[in-house]
Amino acid sequence: MKAFLPGLREALGAAGVAMAATFLAFGAAVREAGLSPAWAVLACWGIYGMPGQLILVQAATLGWAGGVGTAVMGAVAVNARFLPMAVSIAPVLSSGSRLRLLPAVPFIAITPWAAAMRALPAIERPGRVGWFLGFGLTSWVVAGFAALSGYYVAGALGPEARAALIFVNPLYYALLLAGDLDKPAPRRAVLCGAAAASLAAVLPASMALLAAGLVGGTAAFLLGRRRGRG
Amino acid sequence: MAEADLALLLTAAACLGLRLAGVWLAGGLAADHPLIAWATAVAQATLAAFVALAIVAPAGAMAEVPLVARLAGLAVGVAACLAMRQRLLLALMTGLLAMLVVRAVL
Repeated sequence: MKAFLPGLREALGAAGVAMAATFLAFGAAVREAGLSPAWAVLACWGIYGMPGQLILVQAATLGWAGGVGTAVMGAVAVNARFLPMAVSIAPVLSSGSRLRLLPAVPFIAITPWAAAMRALPAIERPGRVGWFLGFGLTSWVVAGFAALSGYYVAGALGPEARAALIFVNPLYYALLLAGDLDKPAPRRAVLCGAAAASLAAVLPASMALLAAGLVGGTAAFLLGRRRGRG
Repeated sequence: MAEADLALLLTAAACLGLRLAGVWLAGGLAADHPLIAWATAVAQATLAAFVALAIVAPAGAMAEVPLVARLAGLAVGVAACLAMRQRLLLALMTGLLAMLVVRAVL
């Protein structure tokens, strides 16, 4: 577990700032929807996927008018990326048994996944699960406390401050992706994914992200295989 | 159980299920299996689509920020990141500052 501390430190850098900003804004939104602070923290720690969390908050704001089932399906669809993320990170984390990966499972989410895919190749294999736990656990704690703080300072956050907080999140992901643009496979996936985001013009919001990822990712994968053969 | 608690419980269980299913699926494959390459491409493309939608067509509070300011923040942040290699926090702050400056000017 000697890589636990480097993982922890990494999570307190740009990732921690991005995480704290987003979850502060989330806590404020939870309060406005009339939900409890405990709900805010449990949503962060239980779901740990912001787009899905926001769909539940929106549904609560509307008084669950479409029913709990519809809200849950929307939230799960928008967080469905957990499945391909788990598939892709598992062999990077450990080449051995699936059981070794169990403690890491709750932390598979965009921020730890993206940071780990970037940092883990430079870390020796036996230390990788430790690094991931250090990073994941730290960002988990940061997320929970930020949401709680956001809940209590909601009144002090004007729309401008909230916009700035929310902007930090996509910007952070954009920077992580930009760092990968010099490698052909991630570059293809990023460009195809960004292009496929235009599907949002014709699809309902809850399905758009899932569809764009599937279409863009599959296109990038097929292009890569053609390149590989040719 | 209140609707909000039920929705939270069901969503959390389903999300944990997705993560477990992914790890279980990958555990039975070789590291260079095409399914792993495909899943990685889908995950990266999803993230890129998320960024594209958040910048070009955001909902909620971000929609109040003019498109030009959002694009300026993204462009300056990415340029700073490429110029400063690995110094993510500094690039993040530079991009955020650029967005705020352009919004204030407009």
